[in-house]
Amino acid sequence: MIHAVLIFNTSGVARLTKFYTPLHQSSQTLVQKIFSLIHSRPAGLCNFLDAPELEAFLGPKDEVGERWQVVYRNYATLYFVFIVDGAESELGILDLIQVLVECLDRAFENVCELDLVFHFDEVHHILAEIIQGGLVLETNVEEIDASGM
Amino acid sequence: MATSMRGLTQFIADIRGARVRDLEEKRINKEMANIRKKFKDGNLDGYQKKKYVAKIIFTYILGYKVDVGHMEAVNLISSSKYSEKQIGYLAVTLLMHENSDFLRLVVNSIRKDLDGNNEIDNCLALHAIANVGGSEMAEALAEDVHRLLISPTSQTFVKKKAALTLLRLYRKHPDVIPATEWALRIVSIMDDPDLGVVICVTSLVMALAQDNLDAYAVCYTKAVDRLNRLVIEHEYAATYAYYKVPSPWLQVKLLRLLQYYPPSEDPSIRSVLHQVLQTIMNNSAESSRNVQHNNAQHAVLFEAIGLAIHLDTASPLVGTAAVLLARFISSKETNVRYLGLDTMAHLAARAESLEPIKRHQSTIILSLRDKDISVRRRALDLLYSMCDVDNSELIVGELLRYLKVADYALREEMVLKIAILTENAAGDHVGDEVWYRVVQIVTNTEDLQEYAAKVIFEHLKAPSTHESLVKVGGYILGEYGHLIANEPGYSPMEQFQVLHTKSQFCVASTRSLLLSTYIKWVNVFPEIKPQLLNIFERYRHVLDAELQQRACEFYALASRPDDDELLQNVCEEMPPFPPRVSALLGRLNMKHGDTEDKRTWIHGGKEANLDRDAIKRKAEGNSAVAGQLGNQDIMGSLAGLEISPSSPEVASLSPELPSFQPASDKAPRLTTGPNVDRWFDKLTYTAEGVLYEDDQLQIGVKSRYQGHLGQLAVYIGNKVSAPLTSFTTTIHISDPDALSVTFAKMPPSIVGPRTQTQQLLHVECKKMFSTPPILSVSYLAGSHQTIALRLPIVITKFFEHVKLGQADFFERWKLIGGPPREDQAIFPIDLNSAGQLDLAKHKQVVSGHRLNLLDDIDPNPNNLVAAGVLHMSVEGKVGCLLRLEPNREAKLCRLTLRSTSETVATEVRKLVQQPLKAES
Repeated sequence: MIHAVLIFNTSGVARLTKFYTPLHQSSQTLVQKIFSLIHSRPAGLCNFLDAPELEAFLGPKDEVGERWQVVYRNYATLYFVFIVDGAESELGILDLIQVLVECLDRAFENVCELDLVFHFDEVHHILAEIIQGGLVLETNVEEIDASGM
Repeated sequence: MATSMRGLTQFIADIRGARVRDLEEKRINKEMANIRKKFKDGNLDGYQKKKYVAKIIFTYILGYKVDVGHMEAVNLISSSKYSEKQIGYLAVTLLMHENSDFLRLVVNSIRKDLDGNNEIDNCLALHAIANVGGSEMAEALAEDVHRLLISPTSQTFVKKKAALTLLRLYRKHPDVIPATEWALRIVSIMDDPDLGVVICVTSLVMALAQDNLDAYAVCYTKAVDRLNRLVIEHEYAATYAYYKVPSPWLQVKLLRLLQYYPPSEDPSIRSVLHQVLQTIMNNSAESSRNVQHNNAQHAVLFEAIGLAIHLDTASPLVGTAAVLLARFISSKETNVRYLGLDTMAHLAARAESLEPIKRHQSTIILSLRDKDISVRRRALDLLYSMCDVDNSELIVGELLRYLKVADYALREEMVLKIAILTENAAGDHVGDEVWYRVVQIVTNTEDLQEYAAKVIFEHLKAPSTHESLVKVGGYILGEYGHLIANEPGYSPMEQFQVLHTKSQFCVASTRSLLLSTYIKWVNVFPEIKPQLLNIFERYRHVLDAELQQRACEFYALASRPDDDELLQNVCEEMPPFPPRVSALLGRLNMKHGDTEDKRTWIHGGKEANLDRDAIKRKAEGNSAVAGQLGNQDIMGSLAGLEISPSSPEVASLSPELPSFQPASDKAPRLTTGPNVDRWFDKLTYTAEGVLYEDDQLQIGVKSRYQGHLGQLAVYIGNKVSAPLTSFTTTIHISDPDALSVTFAKMPPSIVGPRTQTQQLLHVECKKMFSTPPILSVSYLAGSHQTIALRLPIVITKFFEHVKLGQADFFERWKLIGGPPREDQAIFPIDLNSAGQLDLAKHKQVVSGHRLNLLDDIDPNPNNLVAAGVLHMSVEGKVGCLLRLEPNREAKLCRLTLRSTSETVATEVRKLVQQPLKAES
């Protein structure tokens, strides 16, 4: 399951936060935590990160091998970050991030950070057409574009 | 929309303009105060409410706490204007969570939107439930959501959302979803032509199937069929290709779903699945320059490898996979290295032989020094899983060397793993579980005791030792010190001195353990008794109550005469610990919540996975047991070692595990009808004919048998002018050990209007059986229909003729003798229209049951005598003799069967009697 979708910029300012699992602590602290984890990683490392640190926010992962995982991708000034559990394919999530970005790009014609700020409601609606309740709803860019009003 | 609200745009611009955080906060506080006032004054129109709620949402997204606007959001939801409703729903899904009290206020509005005819409203409502729905909403709304999912009039975009919403409700409150009852209907949607719907419903099925494997078993065929259509037939809407890969998400989901089931026994399904996996692996050979294409292809590939490992670790497919993985772990791309190591750990956790992996041991060890911590973690997991007797020294050595330089975050996990691997280590960061485990192993392994005592003694000689080591030393030397006491350098006195010098640096609990060691020594080492008594005597005056009490008791005990039996009994050597879940593994495998998809494997070797499967199976029988195992007190696993009372035995707590449901309970309910039984009975003694017919469907059967094998062709005709979609046929066999019935190839999922589909079944009789297999046919034609029919496969189908003369026949007849190997019945029969015995029919029935009619044996021409041999591949051949004696005057008939097997005699008698007996 996808537990959270976060978009923040390279200075760590959140542009979208969507949680599908209730948080135990403030979302801002979580964003800061993840930002510090990711921002320190040089380019060329993989897009996946085990994050036992997140247990404080999202609850413990009990079973062996089960872990909170951060899958992220950097586009220009923005980080797109998904927090997922072991039921998701890591690469599948990377693909999904690409789908999200392509959809935003269609909706805003060359999406930039400002679009996410001023059209936050629309961004949420687009996200809602891709993910619902933490699960993949639709992956077809045409379809998402069409339902995104 | 945000753009149409000038006030909101201005607000956002102001905040962006704020140079420092203080100014931003000031602006927000001002705005919130304003909004609070406006809300308090009331009298706002829809537009104003929408605007203010939008500002509140924006503030919330920035990370500020907001405590106003919930009520207004609730109001907006029931607005008739879409733009207002939408903002209302957005606010509810962002500002509230499943336990918010405000949600009670929206349940009715949500229900209204759910039940309305406006599909956009349906979707908004579904989306809200899927995001914030808890158990209350589940109770109130599950039925409505389910209705939207299965309604033939629901648009695809509604169905998709309804499927995921239902899944959410199931996760929150499984009891409100009749998962078994809805199974076939829900699984049938996996055949939907829209791949978006299929993705969503597969997610739903995956969750439901994990808890109801049998009820959802049909989804296995559906998943394989869909993979076949995607990967091999390339049958999908072009828009669902993602960088030329047909919906990788759906492929991954289907491949994962299949890992929740044991491998299929059905040869046709296996062969299709094999082709699919093979094709996926071949596809990955052509690497492309496009990053997205590669990503998508690898996503599918890694899941396919996972499934191949699950199906059969020894298959050639897995051989191919191992070669691919070896290439991946030294790939230039970090993502691929990462996933390569992860998947290799899966292979190591399941494989019979670790050889293919060990070949790459040096590459893997090198990965411990990868520049990326994520990769280093996966390397650690893999080394843990691939460690066995041969390479343990090397791997543990490498791990220990790496421990010194390892990231802080990795150390604890590493130590735990090293400890398990060596089951002998005690270093820093070691918890109590580790030394308990060490003690447990030493106690239970006799060969190890002497060795362990020596090693521990040597370690204790080091100037600084870890407390855990002292505890282990105290325990081991107390129990097994006497085994080494005769060897030079290990004398009782030396053991005592080494251990006791550590005592002063230890905490009270360790010291009290050492006292226990000493009292054991009093028994086995009389030569140092004075020194020991001296220590007890001193500890009698310490302040710590526990220590003091022990010292007093031990002092009294040790002061008793030397030949006292009490001391000897108390200090008897510890019996081995009962076999129980190791505390360490217990901590690693702690119980997992029901609310998420379960893992299909864990790190560790093959045994670890087998153990886990066994525990899981038990847990399925009784979830209370799972709790017991999962939360088992670590002390409980060491009954008798420490002061704490030993926890009751886990096994005795668990009530008898309910054995798996009797097969008949799981059998589908048979379709009834005026002719259903008659059609079946007729087919028991004929090779072809009609099995079923109604307004929509006609089902016919043709069969051919030889020995214990047979072929059955089932013809299913669609009589209406619309296609039957999501067409599913399954066979239910009550005793699979006795009878096997399999499809020659995968059945189609659609039957066109006014067309017929033929399905060939292979039949094999292995042992005697009396319950015919059941064919279930289900399909969508407006609503969902299910028909369950007995297939005319009965034991007499497997008879072969045998020719006997009069003398032979009577000799055998007598040899078999009367009951219990004889079965006889007298029953009424109908005469034909002329008032005569229907001899032709009698002959037809008996010979139709494949018994050889023998002439000239019975002097009465009306009587029938027949013989046959039953062929079974496992139980071999069984002979059977029949005699039928009709009586016209009495309208009665006597039927006698004799066979070397009682059950065969009874069963054949029933089968032959059924079509002969009078109809009224």
